[in-house]
Amino acid sequence: MHRPGVTFNGVWKKFRRGERHDSLRDLIPSAVRALVRGRSDELTAEEFWALHDVSFDVSPGEALGIIGPNGAGKSTVLKLLTRILKSTRGSCEVRGRVGALIEVAAGFHPDLTGRENVYLQGAIMGMKQAEIARKFEEIVEFAGIAEFIDTPVKRYSSGMNARLGFAIAAHLDPDVLLIDEVLSVGDARFQERCVERMHALRASGVLLVFVSHNLTAVLDLCNRAVLIDRGRVRFDGHPAAAIQEYRSVTSNRDAGRPAEADIHLAGVEVFDDRGRPVQAIDTGAGLTVRIHYKTPRPVERPHFAVDIHRGDIDAVIDHMLKDGESEVRLQAFVFDRQAVGKLVLMWWTAPAPGIEVP
Amino acid sequence: MMRTVSVLSARLVADVRDMVVEQREYRELLVRITARDLLLRYKQTVMGFGWAIFMPLVNTAVFSVIFTRVAPIETAVPYPLFAYCGLCTWNFFASTQRFAVVSLTSNTSLVTKVYCPREIFPFSAILVSLVDFAVASTVLVGLMAYYRIPVGWPVLFVPVIVAVHVAFTAGVALFLAMANLFYRDIKYLFEIVLAVWMFATSVVYPIERIGGRLGTLLLLNPMTPIIDAYRATLLERQLPAMGPFAAAAAVSVALLAIAWLLFHRAEFQFAENV
Repeated sequence: MHRPGVTFNGVWKKFRRGERHDSLRDLIPSAVRALVRGRSDELTAEEFWALHDVSFDVSPGEALGIIGPNGAGKSTVLKLLTRILKSTRGSCEVRGRVGALIEVAAGFHPDLTGRENVYLQGAIMGMKQAEIARKFEEIVEFAGIAEFIDTPVKRYSSGMNARLGFAIAAHLDPDVLLIDEVLSVGDARFQERCVERMHALRASGVLLVFVSHNLTAVLDLCNRAVLIDRGRVRFDGHPAAAIQEYRSVTSNRDAGRPAEADIHLAGVEVFDDRGRPVQAIDTGAGLTVRIHYKTPRPVERPHFAVDIHRGDIDAVIDHMLKDGESEVRLQAFVFDRQAVGKLVLMWWTAPAPGIEVP
Repeated sequence: MMRTVSVLSARLVADVRDMVVEQREYRELLVRITARDLLLRYKQTVMGFGWAIFMPLVNTAVFSVIFTRVAPIETAVPYPLFAYCGLCTWNFFASTQRFAVVSLTSNTSLVTKVYCPREIFPFSAILVSLVDFAVASTVLVGLMAYYRIPVGWPVLFVPVIVAVHVAFTAGVALFLAMANLFYRDIKYLFEIVLAVWMFATSVVYPIERIGGRLGTLLLLNPMTPIIDAYRATLLERQLPAMGPFAAAAAVSVALLAIAWLLFHRAEFQFAENV
């Protein structure tokens, strides 16, 4: 048995735009071509590279975050890792038992009961029946749906569905755990338990690959991050630095690249509507963020960005301060009552990525 | 040339090993998916497995009226027995194909989102139909008792016939499932083919009665020797006609091998093409 690990070696993956050729007239010539020359890896007019020479390695004990804007190729990477897709060029290898917290309820059948679905989904995820039977109580308890376990899944709420799926996946004993945006499942308490569970798995030496838009979660969970943009690896390194790079990639799209400046953060204060300093903000309440900074020389147009994160959404508020502004008034309008949000402050060129105000 | 051959055969060996290892690794999933499909098939029905018997029984009654009263034909055993034996064996083939043809397209969420050997879906269609076949066979046993057909030693040959029957059915099922994924016309086309195919097989009449050039052409149909073999061993206490049966067996095994290999090689394209 090899040491568990993930190797992505010069992976290219192409996709087709638009509809596939669907008539027999096109099939025969293309089948003949395929037979004669083998699968071509050159691009035809309607194809494009979704991944462009992507390489990275992950070793046991590492937690790799994969971040990038929409359409960058993150999900393609994940689908290659789970063997759902096959690379056009290059090799992609996952050694060890793979668990995937992706589409955790994909195998559920609406007409089957929760109990039947646990066994089915478990088998789909590669668990042995005896193993599922052993962990059954634990799974149901984790999902918190004990009283509905013999009800058909079609009568479940979407939250219950997702919680049950997550609970099954979380009870695999993988060497390699692949995670897509799953933190959006359930209420705040369930989310906390999910995050706890992932930390526990990481602590036990499981290799994690975490694809997410949720930069806070990446920062929280990963010790390394890869930034993918338009199918290419833009950055591979410390998550904080990757997030910073991500900021500059996305802001590059609308504005010019922020000027490099030697800015040291002296402090951040958060005030409520009436100007009182606060630690937590209620939904709908206005807030003021005051940023104190020092620079060795005057900076003409410092760039700061203030994000408010909820567990499941990238940035509820993503505000960039412009032209020397150092105070911004925001409304924390998207939180519902129980959601726990985090306020994250980012600034360019500083050594650390930001501070968090819980 | 030699090099190409050795590369190709190395690839073949690797593929076959893959196929076997995967099926071993995922055997519990196959059982689970089959259990799911069986459960779903008869959930919320009153008759349950009765449906597996009902269909061939009604057909037997209808064809018995046609071929004993309207256009009487000679058969070696009482006609209802002849027809039921043909219909319940044909039914296994036909109902497998009906399930298999949509087995990949109706499991879209699994095919596009989770990894597992895709053969599992058509294979589970076979296992589900095999269970129905077993249920329907009990009626055949009942009919044999009713008509006082004694059982002879050629019955020992039945497992071989079942194996060939399953191999042929599986080969066709793999092709159909794969083809329907890429071309949805298959689902409609195959219904027509299946209807014609039944009357081109010795299901409700002995195929020799067709005769002529068409009759010669119909000898190419591997389903006929298979169904005839069931009748010979079960109803007539004879070994099957060895020439046609051996040919059908060879075709079935070759078909299954080719279909499975093609399926395995096309598998990774499924997620992109559903």
